[in-house]
Amino acid sequence: MKLPFRGFSAILYKEFLVVFRDPLTLFFMFVPPLIQLVAFGFALDTDVKHISTLVLDEDRTRESRELVDQFVNTQTFRVVGEVHSVTELADAIRRGQAYVGLQIPPGFTRDLAAGRTARVQVLIDGSNSTIASSSLNTAINVGFRSAMLRLVARTGMRDLPVEVRPQILYNPEMRAPNFFVPGVIGLVLQIATMFATSMSLVRERERGTLEQLMVSPLSRWGLMLGKLVPYLCIAMLMAAGLIGIMQSVFRVPIAGDIRALVIATLLYLFALLSLGLLISTRAQNQIQALQMCMVFILPSIFFSGFIFPRETMPWIFYAIGTILPATYYIELQRAIVLRGACLADSWANIAVLAGMGVGVFSLCALQFKQKMA
Amino acid sequence: MIECERLTKRFGTFTAVDHVSFKIGKGSIFGFLGPNGSGKSTVIRLLCGLLQPSDGQARIAGLDVVRELDQIKSLIGYMSQKFSLYDELTAHENLTFYARLYGLRGAALKQRYDQLVGLTHLEPYLSRRAGLLSGGWRQRLAMACSLMHRPSVLFLDEPTAGIDPVARRELWDLLFEFSSNGMTLFVTTHYMDEAERCSHVGYIYMSKLVVCGEPDELKQLPMVNPTDARRIDVTCDHVTTGLQVVRRLPGVRTATVFGQSMHLLVDKDTPEDFIRAELARAGIPHADIRPIAPSLEDVFVTLTSNANQGGGA
Repeated sequence: MKLPFRGFSAILYKEFLVVFRDPLTLFFMFVPPLIQLVAFGFALDTDVKHISTLVLDEDRTRESRELVDQFVNTQTFRVVGEVHSVTELADAIRRGQAYVGLQIPPGFTRDLAAGRTARVQVLIDGSNSTIASSSLNTAINVGFRSAMLRLVARTGMRDLPVEVRPQILYNPEMRAPNFFVPGVIGLVLQIATMFATSMSLVRERERGTLEQLMVSPLSRWGLMLGKLVPYLCIAMLMAAGLIGIMQSVFRVPIAGDIRALVIATLLYLFALLSLGLLISTRAQNQIQALQMCMVFILPSIFFSGFIFPRETMPWIFYAIGTILPATYYIELQRAIVLRGACLADSWANIAVLAGMGVGVFSLCALQFKQKMA
Repeated sequence: MIECERLTKRFGTFTAVDHVSFKIGKGSIFGFLGPNGSGKSTVIRLLCGLLQPSDGQARIAGLDVVRELDQIKSLIGYMSQKFSLYDELTAHENLTFYARLYGLRGAALKQRYDQLVGLTHLEPYLSRRAGLLSGGWRQRLAMACSLMHRPSVLFLDEPTAGIDPVARRELWDLLFEFSSNGMTLFVTTHYMDEAERCSHVGYIYMSKLVVCGEPDELKQLPMVNPTDARRIDVTCDHVTTGLQVVRRLPGVRTATVFGQSMHLLVDKDTPEDFIRAELARAGIPHADIRPIAPSLEDVFVTLTSNANQGGGA
């Protein structure tokens, strides 16, 4: 008599009709995530290259020009002009004409020749920390290397005494899209899915159709699953589209097991849709539902390890990251897509996502009261 | 079929339904009346299991609405005030959804569907979206949806609010048909003509059930028919002016306008000639006066004013 999923197929039938009946809703579910992925994917580029640089060469010798070339050859700096005084250099940086100023003082070659320390000044605009730190590292490296080569020449050795040969695995060119695009997919999916289900029960409450459902013998598990499944199908399609864009537009290949990626995505979406439903059972109107979604979405951007590594966060933010599904999914994405992980490598994160999904979904059904008061 | 015993619902400090008791037999049409906010919809929601009673109990077909709600759900149909339909779905899809919600499939669904479409004459509108239907057709569709599972009790919360008179009459014709087939109907309304058509009526005022019974019984109530007074109908020109005149007269207890005439409750010994003369003096000649029996509205007006004076019923 009491079937646990009673009414599921009726709700499923209705939800599919409702979703596909309204092209505008479908459009707003599908198109913004695709645009967001492309936009964020291109915008989030921390590959700092060709930083605009001004040169104040007061030495004007072959050695000084060679030094400038060494800076340029790192690809980090790009000479945009020459200036003729320190004030001019400082002014140009303040005005934002260049991020870096390279000043080579008059006695540079003379000091070199005499075996004294030849000094070079590099002015760096610190207002953009990414550019500043990259400039700083490169400038110091250029200095070290130049100094080393001169010392080596003096001792008569043919090569540097120590040479470090770094080998970067999984993302050898250190391309930013490889790092960011999988994360962006996770976030974009989260926004689209949570909004979709968080509205669904609230809308019925506002319209009065929820009452009609509550007087029927529909079971709450049937209701929740019927509401969730259509969106799960749509979201899986959307995920496939996003991953397709990742491969074709951003040229990020999937190194790992595609089945693991599918399973991870399915569980992630299930967890998010359940979270949206949970919001929907609590919110009294659509505005409230929207606000509650934002509570989850903003931390997912900052605390999931999407941009900033979680390990360096204060413990409280690290803890917040621990309870966000996005944290696990983004980690899984990077593992599977970049590091070529297979199902067996990723089981721990997959299990966490599965647990979150089943837990939140059960909570939805159990705490949903089929009474108004 | 429906029984309430001291049914009570409190929202915080506000008591929306206060110790309401009544019994409704199988196949009757129970008209539930009362001003807005008096607790009509709350009683329906308590009976449908949408609200948890604070006190008292209610049974439908002998089943307790709290403990045996699961069994009750397939016995009852509910048509809410707003005709809750899915606007983006067509009439056909709404019907199919509600049928499937109650577990109808295949041939059984088809048969019941055709039957209800025939009964409500919805054929021409089946492929139209519910949101684009006019009030009367929305109401029919909502009713067909709530009847899909052949409920033995149908609750209708102001089914005729905002519906044109023709659609109202047709709805009532349908209701009579259902009731003659043994369905019990619980209808809230504001219309006295609808109340007159019910087999039983209840009147709720300020959360309390003031009176309950057959319309004719209620009209015989002693407090409605005081032994020292009688009811008369005064038909004359300028009724609104006339009302001001008669209200000032000694011996006139109440006076209400009913279309082109006034209903007066007067002391037994107030002569009709006196009223006629007073109206003529105010410039309203040829008043036609005849004795009348109380209408349901008279019953409710009297009981409401009694309740307001703290007497109750």
